[in-house]
Amino acid sequence: MTLDLTIFVDYGPRILLGFWMTIKIVVLAISLGLPFGVVLALARRSRLRVLSWSALAFIEIFRNTPFIIQVFLIYYVLPFYGLRLPAEQVGVLALAAFGSAYFAEVIRGGIDAVPSGQLESARAIGMSDLQAMRHIVLPQSLAIILPPLTNQMLSLIKESAILSTITVQEMTMTALRVQGETFRPFEAFIMIALLYWLLNEVVAIAMRALERRWTTKPVEGEA
Amino acid sequence: MADKYLELIGITTRFGDVEALQGVSLSVARGEVVCLIGPSGCGKSTLLRAANWLTPPNEGTVRLDGSVVGHAPQGRATAAQIRALNGHRARIGMVFQQFNVWPHLTALENVVRAQMVVLRRDKSEAEAKARQALADVGLSDKMDAWPERLSGGQKQRLAIARTLAMDPVLMLMDEPTSALDPELVAEVLAVLQRLAEIQMTMLIVTHELGFAMRVADRIVFMEAGGIVEQGPPQELLSNPRTDRLKAFLDKLSLTTLPKDREHAEI
Ligand SMILES: Nc1ncnc2c1ncn2[C@@H]1O[C@H](COP(=O)(O)OP(=O)(O)O)[C@@H](O)[C@H]1O
Ligand SMILES: [Mg+2]
Repeated sequence: MTLDLTIFVDYGPRILLGFWMTIKIVVLAISLGLPFGVVLALARRSRLRVLSWSALAFIEIFRNTPFIIQVFLIYYVLPFYGLRLPAEQVGVLALAAFGSAYFAEVIRGGIDAVPSGQLESARAIGMSDLQAMRHIVLPQSLAIILPPLTNQMLSLIKESAILSTITVQEMTMTALRVQGETFRPFEAFIMIALLYWLLNEVVAIAMRALERRWTTKPVEGEA
Repeated sequence: MADKYLELIGITTRFGDVEALQGVSLSVARGEVVCLIGPSGCGKSTLLRAANWLTPPNEGTVRLDGSVVGHAPQGRATAAQIRALNGHRARIGMVFQQFNVWPHLTALENVVRAQMVVLRRDKSEAEAKARQALADVGLSDKMDAWPERLSGGQKQRLAIARTLAMDPVLMLMDEPTSALDPELVAEVLAVLQRLAEIQMTMLIVTHELGFAMRVADRIVFMEAGGIVEQGPPQELLSNPRTDRLKAFLDKLSLTTLPKDREHAEI
């Protein structure tokens, strides 16, 4: 099998459009899913039963069912309740929900790893639970949270390919179309494989930079 | 002393089947230093943690200067009650056995943060206050140090500075020197002694009888979830009225008293 380079030239721009859609969807899903993951993690620790149980149920459902089924359920069931959203929005919501369940568990693990005396001393000095979380506990959890959080982001990016099944015009969908029109699967899929890889590398490198910036203390004297 | 500044009334705390405190009542007057002594597991920490409602009791009331810090049993706290409690806690300093300094903040930031977050002081005011508090505990040269670089004694003095900067009206201390290497105990006790001299109201759990003898206005002996005996240090320690206190002092003097004599020099 020889590589047909004209495919790259002719269809590259379309693939790049799909790539752009993938980036938009992923960025939106993470910007929604990450804060919601923090909310879920805090709700999970709440003394209010309703809150902690709802959070637990949400997390368990989204972690223990296949993402493709979640997408189908949201896409085909929401219209029954009169909520007809464009496929892209359903995709963002589904990815955000799926991501938040995993983010929540990672964040909760990080919070639990901070010694209880840290929270106690913050509360004893008059901080509210939220202030104690924000100023004392979460900053100390970051070093524990960031590496697994990065992994979850990478898998979220890869899962976004599933959205092609509900006609979202993202990168995988575009490659499928190109493949259908050209009958050249190798060229079509190698292009997007490289682009997924590129996107994941960029995210991984950015997250490692954040990790260094947020979790390394300056050497004494520099402070 | 008649004046009741801190009042713990009928405090009962249960952990499952264990009744850690059985209706304990204790008052501390303004400016008074009270040392709590007693065998391990008798409920000293639980009583201290009831005073700022960190471990809410099952029954009982805590009042500070006449206003209610906490009252149990009580349903879910309202937002207003939580705010009021946090307001009380801001004025009640607590010092822990394990220091609990905040490792992600420098010494100065440790002292600044709660002032800004809780008391809403602006940065320059909080920093000025923090520098003063750090100077008061002898840490002026450690402002920019990270806690992990500090010795145990320095960490505990940092923790004390952190509460002093909040202008506390009462300090609760739970075995502030128990986690320290013996040679570092004196520097912390010296700070506490200075606080006693400036009439800081303090409730201190300690095994340092020599220290208690020097600074306490009153020693309270607890056992098995209740107060057994209390009185002025000299009287209580030289003439224990109960066999239980006698037995406790006998056991303690074997281990603690010689060490305390050294500290008596400062
Ligand atoms: N969080 C807790 N959960 C269960 N039991 C506890 C807890 N805290 C204290 N206790 C129990 O309550 C009793 C009193 O403990 P504590 O107040 O820590 O004693 P002390 O400080 O005098 O050593 C002990 O029997 C202890 O095991
Ligand atoms: Mg204790």
